[in-house]
Amino acid sequence: MHEFFQQLEQLRSINRRVALATLVNTVGTSPRKEGAKMWIGEGGEIFGAVTIGGCVDAHVIEQAEATLATQMPCLIELPLGDEEAWELGLSCAGTIEVFLEPLHAARSQLFDLSTALKSHLDSGGSGALITCLDGTMIGTKLLLLDNGHTLGSLGDVTLDQAVCTAVLPDLAQGLSRLLSFVLPHTTVRVFVEVHTPPATLIIVGAGHMAMLLVQLARPIGFNTIVVDSRPRFATPERFPATDTLLVGIPSEIVKTLPLSSSTAVILVAHDYKYDLPILRHVLSSPVGYIGVLGSRRRGEGLRQFLREEGVPEEALRHIRTPIGLDLGGRSTPEIALAILAEVVATRYGGSHLPLSQQRQDRG
Amino acid sequence: MTLQYSEIIFEHFRHPRNYGALPAPEVAYEAVNALCGDRIRMELNISADQTIAAVRFRGDSCIISRAAASILTELIQGQTLQEVITVPQAVLLTALRTTIRPARVKCALLPLHILQTGIAAYLRFPS
Repeated sequence: MHEFFQQLEQLRSINRRVALATLVNTVGTSPRKEGAKMWIGEGGEIFGAVTIGGCVDAHVIEQAEATLATQMPCLIELPLGDEEAWELGLSCAGTIEVFLEPLHAARSQLFDLSTALKSHLDSGGSGALITCLDGTMIGTKLLLLDNGHTLGSLGDVTLDQAVCTAVLPDLAQGLSRLLSFVLPHTTVRVFVEVHTPPATLIIVGAGHMAMLLVQLARPIGFNTIVVDSRPRFATPERFPATDTLLVGIPSEIVKTLPLSSSTAVILVAHDYKYDLPILRHVLSSPVGYIGVLGSRRRGEGLRQFLREEGVPEEALRHIRTPIGLDLGGRSTPEIALAILAEVVATRYGGSHLPLSQQRQDRG
Repeated sequence: MTLQYSEIIFEHFRHPRNYGALPAPEVAYEAVNALCGDRIRMELNISADQTIAAVRFRGDSCIISRAAASILTELIQGQTLQEVITVPQAVLLTALRTTIRPARVKCALLPLHILQTGIAAYLRFPS
């Protein structure tokens, strides 16, 4: 999503009229790609490298011409065959909906809202850009931050309040989606585009487990930070793929790092001298995941120690020990996979159940 | 956490004396036990008569190492640099009031090593 802000900044500087196309809904297919965007200028010129994909691009470009001519936003529905779905990276046929809106740097509200959103993301917060997709309020926008602050409006106070109430609790999970709201005389659909700070994995302890965690975390998209006090272990040769390698007093280093709901802290040093001071700090922060390598008994020992120091019980419940999902694996790479599976499931509010089991439950 | 050490070690671990940082230390030295990862930083303010005016330590280290650092800061208060730099290891080990297994002696002596190395550097190149 950082491409979104970069692109917006470029468009602001060149001051030209463009149409923004956003994939807002996929029906009957998966995976979810809501939020995918492309920018189309006059004459069908495409800005930036990001497109929605496949033959859909051609259709969207045609529609964008009309949007630029009328300067009116619109929602288009595109049925996909199997082949088109595959071109978009979707697994099977279905229907997608794309929202097209005209933008002009000089007068588009999106620029102001995105500036405020970017600033909030940079400070570790999350936010949602909410766009009304139909009715007389089509194209209106509301920015909702995870601290409850708002900017802009969907054109109706009741709708603004209803959307905020529905979106705020799940904001940190980062799922963009389409929602419907019933107003006195109509039903309104809005697209909730959630932006979260880059997911960061702070790994304390530069042992073998940390090396595997970094290797697995990179393709998932995590920004990885490895912390240790031992320069012999925390070396670029052992961690060629990590974004940041920090050597020093680990608890002091962690205090200097930004901690947000998109941050996972994994303590794999298996050493209380790191675990205790770092837990004291991160338990009072908004980090999304705290895991400590070790047995249930060891975890309870750490909790008891912190409990005696006055750390509240509610905070102690955030510590995950033993760490990871029960995948049944025993080797170090398998445990690393189980740890990251739990981190991802926690980030997105996953059920931790097999998808096949879930579908069975849903009947 | 099971109490495996003397009461004094556990007490100093949980409530370390002189823990923290000095705003403008004349001596500041940090070192790490390369294998176990105990890392401690010691800081000193030195009076004009070359005595210890203030001492602080901080770091992430094991129970023995942290307690030894805390006890050491109490032992050296008001001493001259020459006295501190010649403190025998046995003095600190005795102050821990327990038998330290050979494998852990290095932990217990890490703070003293850091302190004496830092002072030696200061005496060679006073700031």
